[in-house]
Amino acid sequence: MAFTAEPHQPGRRRRRPRLRLALVAGAVAATAGLILSGCSGSGGSSTAGGSNTLTVWHYFSDPNQVKVMTDFAALFEKDNAGVTVKNVYVPYDQMDQKLIASAGAKTGPDVVVFNGADASNLALSGTLAPMDSQWSSFADKGQFPSSVIHKLNGKTYAVQGYVNLLGLWYNKDILDAAGVTPPTTLDQLDSAMAKVKAAGKSGITLSGLPNSQGEWQAYPWLTAAGFDLAKPSTSALTAGFSRVAGWVDKGYLSKESTTWDQTVPFQKFAAGDVAFAENGNWQIGTAKSTAKFHYGVVPLPLGSKGKVYLGGEGEGIGAFSKNKDLAWKYLQATYYSSKGQLIALKDSGTIPARADTAADSAVTGDPLIKPFAESVSKMGANYPGTKVPPASVANQQLAGGQAWSSVLGGSQSPSAAAAAYKQQLDQLLSAK
Amino acid sequence: MTTAQRSHHRTARPGSSPAPLARRRRRSLDARLLYVLPAAAVLAVLAAFPLVQLVRMSVSAVTSATLSTNWAFVGLSNFVKSWQQGDTPAALLNTLVFVVIVTALGLVGGFAAAVALRANTKASAILLGLMVFVWALPPVVNGSVWKFLLGDNGLFNSVFHLFGASSFPFLYDTRFALLSVALVNSWAIIPFNALVFRAAILGIPEEVYEAAQLDGASPWQEIRHIMMAAVRPTTLVLAVLTIVYAFRSFDFIYVMTYGGPGKATNTLPFLGYLQAFVRYDFGLGSSTAIIAVLFVIVLAVVYARSVRKEELD
Repeated sequence: MAFTAEPHQPGRRRRRPRLRLALVAGAVAATAGLILSGCSGSGGSSTAGGSNTLTVWHYFSDPNQVKVMTDFAALFEKDNAGVTVKNVYVPYDQMDQKLIASAGAKTGPDVVVFNGADASNLALSGTLAPMDSQWSSFADKGQFPSSVIHKLNGKTYAVQGYVNLLGLWYNKDILDAAGVTPPTTLDQLDSAMAKVKAAGKSGITLSGLPNSQGEWQAYPWLTAAGFDLAKPSTSALTAGFSRVAGWVDKGYLSKESTTWDQTVPFQKFAAGDVAFAENGNWQIGTAKSTAKFHYGVVPLPLGSKGKVYLGGEGEGIGAFSKNKDLAWKYLQATYYSSKGQLIALKDSGTIPARADTAADSAVTGDPLIKPFAESVSKMGANYPGTKVPPASVANQQLAGGQAWSSVLGGSQSPSAAAAAYKQQLDQLLSAK
Repeated sequence: MTTAQRSHHRTARPGSSPAPLARRRRRSLDARLLYVLPAAAVLAVLAAFPLVQLVRMSVSAVTSATLSTNWAFVGLSNFVKSWQQGDTPAALLNTLVFVVIVTALGLVGGFAAAVALRANTKASAILLGLMVFVWALPPVVNGSVWKFLLGDNGLFNSVFHLFGASSFPFLYDTRFALLSVALVNSWAIIPFNALVFRAAILGIPEEVYEAAQLDGASPWQEIRHIMMAAVRPTTLVLAVLTIVYAFRSFDFIYVMTYGGPGKATNTLPFLGYLQAFVRYDFGLGSSTAIIAVLFVIVLAVVYARSVRKEELD
């Protein structure tokens, strides 16, 4: 490519347009490739290992959550001599893409640990193997509530070994200084934030990202205002959005939350200048290792109507696993066993799904775990909502996240965002 | 090849008949084509095939459930659906704004940096090295660093706080989010443009400057009438490359705003990503990608015609 200023050469005159055209053609080809690459999965599917290697895909980067994976690998390898568990990290945003891409190539992992909300989509795309035969013969299946069993068209594709949910973290030092106690109602929360704001501190942190994380964080506040995914109403949505928009207007919540995923707001809380954080039980390890102040957790103060999604990771067997029996054995020994669920609780504060393990003193005797465990029974809601058709789940989560983000960022009024979201929900809920 | 060798060849050839000569030339051409085959095959597999698939997808109903099966033809309904949902027009407008900002700042900034760094000194060499480093940084790393710098507690707002000002909402205000990401994108392309402009400027013979100085030209006149004139062909090529770069506009948006707040920073590539890999409607996402590709093709044709016209005049 000639970029230097060249003296005029008559003999080359006719060739220059062709050179330019070639450059343009190259640029167009490059653009097409780049645009495609921007919109394509990055592939990289890994083939399931041999008979003695078990490949487990997960998206954990938090050290406490990674420890669960390594502890599970050690537990299984110890009881199964000669077996190697290979934990493979796949970034959260790429997990579904990579699974779908690998299923297209008829390959993939033996075990998949994925966002439970994506179970329908992954099952629809043929990335998960049905596990009805294994589950029906599982002796402890009665210990698991139906809300953690992911089914599509009557077939079981994944089960969650634990649940994750949101609670209200509070900075006890800030609340004590402001003379308030942890709130049990929304009005008390508003009042507490007004007092801590007056004392020069921030009110609350949460995620306002325009994606599924934002929708997950918005749901409790919207349901507290009467929103029901099965029968969405514009007035309830407007009321829910208005309350949180009011927090932004009053300076309790930063608009910057529209750029935060769920990790950042907890880091802000752990830094010590914020009174409250709407965040999950999986942050217990981070709180213990980072926070230099007294802190605690109470259930989100959502009144009688409020709900909290019961999230967490689903665990399933890869559709193209060559070690399906070994994969099932691994799931039984780790995620679905009482021993495994207590390991996950100890490492990263997850709430056990098994009824017998949830009654263990490790759950009921821990002041940080107990509020989350109480929320499960009092205000736990299926995630995703049971009335959302499987093919509409991803659309509903994105639409909810974008509406939430636009309200927090101020690009839409609560009523406009509510009307737009309601219109989208009407279409999505009636889709087949 | 020396003159003696060439004359030897000439003396050896008169005995050859024209037919074998033509055959030899054909054979030679065939052999050369064989060498081209691997590159052509790679291009067909990595460029042509995905493009054909993209076009097919854009006129088909393709979701995660039907990705591995036969795709039902739906005509232009994906394009219509995306347009009716209101996402495409808004993303198109955002993309145009983004492209204009990145192209203008990228070219002006690149040229300014090239002029400033044209001297062959140690300082400019160090600065050039730094610029190459910035250019070579993965956009995800670059974007994350800038997201931190532009945050409420980042470097810029900390400086504002020192002067008693409140935080500036670089990334979370609907009015400024797109502008902020475009500025960062421009910043990232300036090193590449500067390197190319600098190469063009260094190609100007020293005598030209000396002559200009003898005629009493000021530094600005040197820039205006010597350097800007010399880099004109380079600028046209760089403009196309920068527009193409700006049209990508995916990585920085993904890292810095995820299209938010709300949908305020959705550009065509990011919208395509959301449709294809968040909503898993690959047909819809492909239709958006096709619009982006067509737009660049139109720009490229307009550009090629203008260059050809200019050359013929």
